[in-house]
Amino acid sequence: MKTLRALSVFPATAVLCVLFCLPLVGTHAAVSPQSQAVAQEPASATWSHDVAPVLYQNCTTCHHPGGAGPFSLLTYADARRWAPQILQVTQSRFMPPWLPAPGYGDFADVRRLSDDDRALLKRWINGGMAPGDVKAAPPAPHFETKWQLGKPDLILQTAQPFTLPAGGTDVFRNLIMPNPLKETRYIRAMEILPSPASVVHHANLLIDRTASLRRLHPADWQRGIPGMELLMDAGNRFDPDSHFLFWKPDTRALVEPDGMPWRLDPGNDLVLNIHMKPTGKPETVTAQVALYFTPDPPIHQPMLLQLDGDDQLNIPAGDSKFIVQDSLTLPVDVQVLGVYPHAHYLGRDMQGWAILPSGEKKWLVWIKDWDINRQSVYRYREPLLLPAGTVLHMKYSFDNSAANPHNPHSPPVRVTAGNRSDDEMSHLWLQVLAVNTPANAPDPRLQLEEAWMRNRLSKSPEDGVSLYNLAAALAGENKFTEAAAVYEQELKLDPTNARALTAMGAALEGAGQFDQARERYQAAIATASLADSGGCDAQFDLARLQVRRGEYAEAEKEFRALLSACPEDAETHSGLGAALLGEGRADDAAREFRRALEMDAGDFTALYNLGVMAADAGKPGPAAKLLEDAVRAKPDSSDAHVKLASAYAQLGRLSDALTQLRTAAALAPQDAQVYSSMAQVLDGLGQSEEAFTEQKRALQLDPQDADGWNNLGAMLARGGQTEAARAAFEHALQINPDHAQAKANLARLANRN
Amino acid sequence: MSIRVFFRIVAVVAVIFAAHRALAQADANVISDPTSTAILLSNPGVRVVVLYFAATDCPISNREVPEVIRLSHHFPAPSVRFWWVYPNVEDNGQTVVKHLHDFSIPAIGVVDHRQVFVALAHATITPEAAVFLVEGKKLHEVYHGRIDNRYITLGQERPQANHHDLELAIGAALAGKPVPQPDGPPVGCAIAPPQK
Repeated sequence: MKTLRALSVFPATAVLCVLFCLPLVGTHAAVSPQSQAVAQEPASATWSHDVAPVLYQNCTTCHHPGGAGPFSLLTYADARRWAPQILQVTQSRFMPPWLPAPGYGDFADVRRLSDDDRALLKRWINGGMAPGDVKAAPPAPHFETKWQLGKPDLILQTAQPFTLPAGGTDVFRNLIMPNPLKETRYIRAMEILPSPASVVHHANLLIDRTASLRRLHPADWQRGIPGMELLMDAGNRFDPDSHFLFWKPDTRALVEPDGMPWRLDPGNDLVLNIHMKPTGKPETVTAQVALYFTPDPPIHQPMLLQLDGDDQLNIPAGDSKFIVQDSLTLPVDVQVLGVYPHAHYLGRDMQGWAILPSGEKKWLVWIKDWDINRQSVYRYREPLLLPAGTVLHMKYSFDNSAANPHNPHSPPVRVTAGNRSDDEMSHLWLQVLAVNTPANAPDPRLQLEEAWMRNRLSKSPEDGVSLYNLAAALAGENKFTEAAAVYEQELKLDPTNARALTAMGAALEGAGQFDQARERYQAAIATASLADSGGCDAQFDLARLQVRRGEYAEAEKEFRALLSACPEDAETHSGLGAALLGEGRADDAAREFRRALEMDAGDFTALYNLGVMAADAGKPGPAAKLLEDAVRAKPDSSDAHVKLASAYAQLGRLSDALTQLRTAAALAPQDAQVYSSMAQVLDGLGQSEEAFTEQKRALQLDPQDADGWNNLGAMLARGGQTEAARAAFEHALQINPDHAQAKANLARLANRN
Repeated sequence: MSIRVFFRIVAVVAVIFAAHRALAQADANVISDPTSTAILLSNPGVRVVVLYFAATDCPISNREVPEVIRLSHHFPAPSVRFWWVYPNVEDNGQTVVKHLHDFSIPAIGVVDHRQVFVALAHATITPEAAVFLVEGKKLHEVYHGRIDNRYITLGQERPQANHHDLELAIGAALAGKPVPQPDGPPVGCAIAPPQK
């Protein structure tokens, strides 16, 4: 379906470590054995025995030759050279960069230096910086100059070098990288290699599913696009942002948890949003992104949720404690995997917490002295379970006074929400994973999306993106009438929005209001030029509706018009194939299906119809292969599972057929035909009792199924229940007096007597 | 035999030293390790001398370079003379030449390992600047401290400076007015102790 689009709003902002970047690796809170020893012998701290281990564990990930830090701390001479700065930045806790207050969120990879290590460094520096036995120092860590995880599967490169000016304020740039993939890949790990490393303070990698930014800037996308936050078109299907692809200088490689890779499709662009700090001389900045594939698609589908108070951001000049708040009630159980607080230069105190239905309060994060230069994504050491009904809260305070050194305005001016760095933002992003989802329940991310968009609309009722996304979520939940009503709201604000008209048509079609759907599609076509994607989508949906309504000739005409006026795609060819099939032109249809598969080997419509055609032609082997691919392309199609089961049954693979039917039953528990087919397969497997049960279940769902009554009669007859069998055959004939098989069975039963 | 060996070692050291001096002096933009401050008075017409203490490996020092270049254009010669002073032993003729080139610094660099200029200016940090009035054959220090208020401490930084201490000081010195003193301490990298 071409009309379920979601718009993605994701922060392309952030930053990290400023000038004396001493990031850490691994745990830091634990007191090292060395520092414990120092605590016992406070007067004898030496670099080789005490200080080097602390620096190696906490600082040298950035501070090594060629690293992101401005100087190296690998040797005794290095430590001595920079000792005054080490003392100052560790005592002030500027370094290593770590903003969350301890005790308010249990995070992995905490970078906060322990009090013991801070005391050790202070004692060593103030005590004269004794080297100790330098030869006995632990070996300095080794840092790969290229990729930490070995040879990548794919390396993407920024299109053009970006020239960073020598001076001025920080620069935020979005560098677009098209990808050359011909088939979908799943990404288990990623590395980013900026050059020079020292200028890039952080990066967010965003996935532009429809290359929308590149299309929006056709002439100059290679130079990158300015701005801190991007609005991108996420495409036709519900596919919310799911991962924090956040990078900072001490991020050696971003490895996703098991079962949670992210997807990269052909045609997707990666957008590298980078925060750069001028170094004093012009810099030529490039970046490479290394991707590591896994063949396994995700088992778990996380989602990013956002709380925000942007609607409240209207901060008077001089106000030193301007508060914004937001809350969101979770509709499903979730595990919170990570959190990303975000504001610009005026942010000061940032709190996030959850109130559980029990009344218990759980802290998500608390940053008491926000610094845009050291922002980060924080991942929880263990997922934080929050049951449905939990209310998420955020409360941020902003300081727009002259006393706030980060204030970009001098003197202060009124500040509102916006995309520039001297505007403000108040975002709390959460990565959540829905858990405890009941079997056969709809995708819980749709419920989360619905809750999120309703929350946004409660604050900004006329926000078009939220209206669109809410309607799309409702449509995804099969709440088509509600969805159509929300699209109607959006269209009141923008009556010529071709995209909303098309989507509303799809919702009305879903609700069974075909004529109204047709009107919306036609209105969308009328308001959009055909070359516009909105017009193409509407015409596609109109053609598809015509196929659905049996208007095959009209549909063929529409599809052929699409092929001449719009970008060629697999769906149009397979749609044309479906129209031709409806017209009885099987050979022409097969040709279009095959063309669709040349363009997209996973085109469901083509795979399904070619599979069914092969089965009908008495070729169950090829049919099974095609339908297996169809099931892979669309695992939630119960019909495809049923057709595959039929092909398996023709091949004598009854157990495989049963497996497919059980899947179909889980997907469509009210479909009588599935149980009826299952009964036949079970009967073939000799499982008469189970077959009988399934057949009865089928007839409960569809009591007017003459075939079903006939089959039930046959089972009863074989079981020796002659009278019950006779009644079943007679029931079949009551429904369909011409049912030949029931007549024959009844006659056979009479002869037996 | 042992005497000859001794002299051979000395000879080798002398060659290395000579090569180093030759390299440093080969570029007219670098003055290596002056023993006095007389050079600062060598240009006729100079009314104000500005020393900018820099370190090639100090990020804040480097990030202030465009601002100091701006000031050197704003207060041109011959009235004002800027000198870029590199006091740390890590910086030598080669690194300074490269630094001047990479950062497009239109000035002469002074390698000040003896820290003669550091003592003259009472400098402790890179970046830091000192302003002197030329009074005949003497220099009278009227300002030393930060360039501007962009950096408050290590870790506290304004998006951009909104108080330009050095600019105000030079302007006042040229105008013969009382020279305003810095509103805050210099922030950056400590100047290492002088070379023994």
